Amino acid sequence: MVTRNPVLVLKDICKEFPGVKALNNVSLELYPGEVHALLGENGAGKSTLMKIISGIIEPDSGEMYLDGRKVQFKSPKEAMEAGIALVHQELSLVPSLSVGENIFLGRWPQGRWGVNWSYVYREARELMRKFDIDVDPRVPVRNLGVAEQQIVEILKAVSQPHVKILLLDEPTSALTEHEVERLFKLLNDIKAEGKAIVFISHKIDEALKISDRVTIIKDGEKVITEEKGNLTEKDVIYYMTGRAFESNVSSHNVDPGRKAVLSVRGLSAGILKGVDLDVYAGEILVIFGILGSGRSTLARVLFGLQEYRGEVFVEGERVEIRSPLDAIRCGIGYLPEDRRKALVFQLSVGANITLASLREISRKGLLMFDKEKELAERFIDELRIRTSNSRKRVTHLSGGNQQKVLFARWLAKSPKILILDEPTRGIDVGAKFEIREIVKNIAKEGKAVLYITSEALEALEVGDRIAIMRGGKITKILPNDRRLSKSDLLAEVGGVVKV
Amino acid sequence: MIDRVEEKVKITPKNIGTLVLKGGSFFGLISLVVAFSILSPFFLTLNNWLNILRQVAVLLIVACAQTMVIVSAGIDLSVGSTLALGGCLAAVAMSYWGWPFLLGALLGVTVSTLVGFANSVIIAKGRIPDFISTLGMLGAVRGIALLITGGLPVPSHFTATTLKGYLPRVLIWLGSGDIGGVPVPAVIAGVMVMITWFILSRTAFGRSIYAVGGNREAARESGINVDGVKILVYTLSGLYAGIAGLVLVGRMNSANALMAEGLELQTIAAVVIGGTNLFGGEGGILGTLIGGLLIGVLGNGLNLLDVEPFWQRVVNGFIIIAVVVFDQWRRRKIST
Repeated sequence: MVTRNPVLVLKDICKEFPGVKALNNVSLELYPGEVHALLGENGAGKSTLMKIISGIIEPDSGEMYLDGRKVQFKSPKEAMEAGIALVHQELSLVPSLSVGENIFLGRWPQGRWGVNWSYVYREARELMRKFDIDVDPRVPVRNLGVAEQQIVEILKAVSQPHVKILLLDEPTSALTEHEVERLFKLLNDIKAEGKAIVFISHKIDEALKISDRVTIIKDGEKVITEEKGNLTEKDVIYYMTGRAFESNVSSHNVDPGRKAVLSVRGLSAGILKGVDLDVYAGEILVIFGILGSGRSTLARVLFGLQEYRGEVFVEGERVEIRSPLDAIRCGIGYLPEDRRKALVFQLSVGANITLASLREISRKGLLMFDKEKELAERFIDELRIRTSNSRKRVTHLSGGNQQKVLFARWLAKSPKILILDEPTRGIDVGAKFEIREIVKNIAKEGKAVLYITSEALEALEVGDRIAIMRGGKITKILPNDRRLSKSDLLAEVGGVVKV
Repeated sequence: MIDRVEEKVKITPKNIGTLVLKGGSFFGLISLVVAFSILSPFFLTLNNWLNILRQVAVLLIVACAQTMVIVSAGIDLSVGSTLALGGCLAAVAMSYWGWPFLLGALLGVTVSTLVGFANSVIIAKGRIPDFISTLGMLGAVRGIALLITGGLPVPSHFTATTLKGYLPRVLIWLGSGDIGGVPVPAVIAGVMVMITWFILSRTAFGRSIYAVGGNREAARESGINVDGVKILVYTLSGLYAGIAGLVLVGRMNSANALMAEGLELQTIAAVVIGGTNLFGGEGGILGTLIGGLLIGVLGNGLNLLDVEPFWQRVVNGFIIIAVVVFDQWRRRKIST
């Protein structure tokens, strides 16, 4: 029980973005030496709150007090100088530099003859000894695994002079259980030094384990701040979504009569450990999980972009997928998470649509421009791609239309299986709706769709079945009947329901 | 974000400015032509222009291949050396070994093509940067040419007087002859330009080149054989260098291992002046044609004005920089 003065006080913080009120009168108190978890759904406002605390954005109204003194951060630098250190989800280390160089990045102590490197490494070693970390400070950061890189990132933040508050954004999403334990130990040691730690997480079970207190944000408003001892995981879900969670969803029983178009057995690659999966014709199978859980790895493996161990079957036949060409020959199409990886921006809409169909639009190696135009216009029509003509450069299209171009590319090949990785990310609401309709139509035509998303509502809207992915494994496959709710999904992903 | 893509067609003075912007180096070329026409009475004569075409032909042939390589996001620094090797081998075969023209030519061109192929395999399978691989070839191939010729011109005085001796008339014609008044090298260059234009803009292979250069990963994910494209592109580069080698030997009436030294940089200059993006994915043959002509006009004009060769180098370099700076500036203007 903390009786000291709070190190950080937020009073009635409000922040609005065009069209949405991200934070509505949120107040919070943070005490030194506490670990405070910030929980909430996607879009609830947690990230926005973090950004305000760390000085990345400014609130529209409300006040912030650091150690009793009113503060207004106009930049992350100001926040850092005041003692607030943020560790991003995407790490900010320089891969080619060593651990020691990274920890003291930009503030290497100068001696008379330049940087005092022995001091840097001595201090780095001391830091790691203090926190019981076993990493050689001379090793270049790129040689480390993701978990260790994250620890270096945290040490970098914590070693800043005057640091009082450490902010962590989804620190455990890409970690294994063992690595999570190690991280928690580090956080506990930091906490023992009197610093305060705030972290955002979707992993409810872990959050409750490591934190002292929990704040739950819903739709931009603080719902509750409570000691962790007074909250059960089910309470958390209820506060996050407003709906109680019923734990009586059973795993989907496969109808033995149906044959799978795509089957995967014992698939292992990167973080994936022994994944088993079946996808049927005419269905949309959602892979629901948070960033780092292995969903994109699964997609890349199935499209031949990453090596794997295990077996893959297409329409009952065992196949070896070693390259995108193999996957395409098996009738698989793929939209990556980042559409910039798949679009050639210097080429036109028509060229992008037909990029995977060059053989179909050429005769003896010569491009048949009328065929290209025909094919492109067919899909511009069908998918309602908003462009004045197929010769416009694809850079001129909006995100949603660019995404439709990618859909067109694969639909032009009449694939059996379509793998979509976050197909509605970074697109406006109207286009999101259109894309989902397109996907549903694709499934209606009898194709099998693997739909990866981290948005519970989207999963519920499009999925016939929803596979929960956590830590590289499929923990459960749920039928999307009317009883399934957002809370259920969040609970599954959050580890609230033990497998 | 609401999509607001509409076609707006207006004719305004601003649009004309845009045309200038789009014209880029073409206007640079026109300006030079105008300037030289004013400064020298000989510039605009038919004779002079035929001269320019003859001079610039070899550059244009090789620059065509370089265009394809650069569009694929590669670069070939070995073209000069490859040209020399092919040319020397052809000359040696035809003069020392007494081979007929056709066989000698075939030998030269084949070896050049093989050099290109070797380049491509090293780059594609060895996974080293194009720059490094072709840089190494630049040196090694030149060395081989020197070894073969012993550093002497081919044919030398010795071969000319004692052995079969001189180069076949066909070869000489190739480099110095005319077809209906138009220099043969220019005709060959014209043909190569058209063939390359055809490849780049009308074939599936050409489309693949743009895709690989524009976004290699996207090309790969669309089932395009990226390695295959690179291999073909560099092999063609060798082929073009071989053909250019024959023309050059024909024009100079002999071959030597050091010929076309520095050609690679000139071809890159021609391509870049022409507006092709050095990073790949954009550009075309028309630009290279303009770039090559610009270089040719510049050299020719400075010669007519009796500018010292050393000064010519300086001017050449600065003009190239100026043209590219202007081109980059106009690109930024257009995209905003």
